[in-house]
Amino acid sequence: MNRGRFFPILLLMVTIPAYFTILSNVTLLNKRLPKSDEMSVVLPSPVLKITSLDFDGLASDMLYLKALVFYGSTYSDKGQRKVKEWEYNWLYNTLKASTDLDPYFLDPYFFANGILTWEARKVPEVNALLVKGSRYREWDYWLPFFIGFNHFYFLGDNDKAAEYLMEASKKPGASPFFGFLATRMAYKGNRTENAIIFLERMLKTTKDQTLRNDYETRLKALNAILFLEKCVAVFKERTGRNPIKITELQELGVAGLIPADPYGGEFYIDKDGSVKTTSDLRPMKKTKNN
Amino acid sequence: MRLLWPIALITFKEGIRNRSIYGISLLALLMLVANFIVSDMMSQEVGKVAVDMALSAVSFSGLLLVLFVGINLMAKDLDRKTIYMVLAKPVSRAQYLMGKFLGVTLLIIACLTILSCFAAASLFLIKLGHPDYFQRFSWPLVCLSFSFITLMLILVAALSFLFASFTSTSFITFILTIISYIIGMALNDVKALVEAPQAVGITVSPVTVKVVQTAYYIFPNLSFFDIKTQAAHGLPVSPSYIIGVVGYGVVYITIVMTLAGLIFRKKEFP
Repeated sequence: MNRGRFFPILLLMVTIPAYFTILSNVTLLNKRLPKSDEMSVVLPSPVLKITSLDFDGLASDMLYLKALVFYGSTYSDKGQRKVKEWEYNWLYNTLKASTDLDPYFLDPYFFANGILTWEARKVPEVNALLVKGSRYREWDYWLPFFIGFNHFYFLGDNDKAAEYLMEASKKPGASPFFGFLATRMAYKGNRTENAIIFLERMLKTTKDQTLRNDYETRLKALNAILFLEKCVAVFKERTGRNPIKITELQELGVAGLIPADPYGGEFYIDKDGSVKTTSDLRPMKKTKNN
Repeated sequence: MRLLWPIALITFKEGIRNRSIYGISLLALLMLVANFIVSDMMSQEVGKVAVDMALSAVSFSGLLLVLFVGINLMAKDLDRKTIYMVLAKPVSRAQYLMGKFLGVTLLIIACLTILSCFAAASLFLIKLGHPDYFQRFSWPLVCLSFSFITLMLILVAALSFLFASFTSTSFITFILTIISYIIGMALNDVKALVEAPQAVGITVSPVTVKVVQTAYYIFPNLSFFDIKTQAAHGLPVSPSYIIGVVGYGVVYITIVMTLAGLIFRKKEFP
């Protein structure tokens, strides 16, 4: 082979594998770079609005995608999620900026409601976001439905929940079931059961696989809690008291098997007889530095 | 018109032959292909994101067309001194300028029509794959948005002609055009911000408010032409708004081109 051609080919044969090796290493190292709360800064919405020129809709889409991809990247190899407090703040700020750029965009509201309420417990913040969204999306029943649910499930305010669900039921295309749910909430709790119904509704309309996986895990956990709650009720009926330990349910033959918490925690009976889990329905952290 | 047409036609042909067009078209096509990937990542509003991407691809490529092809079409005649050959004919300087502008306008309309067809095809295919996620989608609004983008780009091209009429190099024309585009796009938001600074907790001096208010009347308000959000969410756009925006565009272009003609008449060529 011509020497002049041989050398560049040899060089490429060495450099191309080296390139891929370095790329994967640097990607890994980049992920491990220490990051701090300072990185949670998102440009203020007026600045974003001005700098995005006539591409504010696109900028809104990109911010949402950034949040979605970031959230997806928090899954570790073992399927566990590791999200720090400042990362939740960053997610919230990014989603807020996305909805400031395009307040009609439904996906950031869905995402914020699905993740930041359950995992980060940012219920008032998410509710404020949803209220903004429902001001723009006047035709949409989802946003008042979410606000209603958050008031019911997280804030324990049944009156407000019923009010928002009633509002949702009046929107075009809303299921007549919302009205029924509103009256049911106004009447009594049924916290877990209603949460299951809510999640099943969300699963029906969510296409994104990452979010679907999250909803399905949560649904599994809630179904387990509902099962245990029913067992506790039977236990109380038979013994006249609440069980102290969850194993008592098995001992009395009320529950054949104690279901596993899909979040990695363990179910237990709280002092008031309610079923709780050590995971608090959030992915369990395995290491100290999470 | 009889004198303008040959200049317009030759400008149009020259523009079509420009190789930058291939690059811009390739970029637009890549953005439209990316549309399939990005919109598929959405969990609810696939239609909204698809429309956003398609309209942005057309708008951005059109802007590149005006900046890299439109400006050069005028500058080339001055740089290569071929303008002398044209002006030696019984054609006035103003007629020459108008002919050139007409050519660039034709080029913008032709290229944007092709780009819009590709964008519409990408929307059609995405809609075919996700029919349930296009409930508020409206073809008339998407087409209206394409038309507004075209009119906006013709206005930007008119501005570039105004700058070319008094600057000595195409680079300065390019810089002034891009600055005007940025100001024109941000003007509405900046004006709203400086007029109600308390809403975001900032203080603005009265001089700044006056400067922005003055700029509002001088620079074109390009955000009037941006109805991408309305198109993406199927929000209504009133006929009076459409008439108003078209009127605004046509009147602004007329003023700018008249000024350009007046200045170009006095321009000294090297």
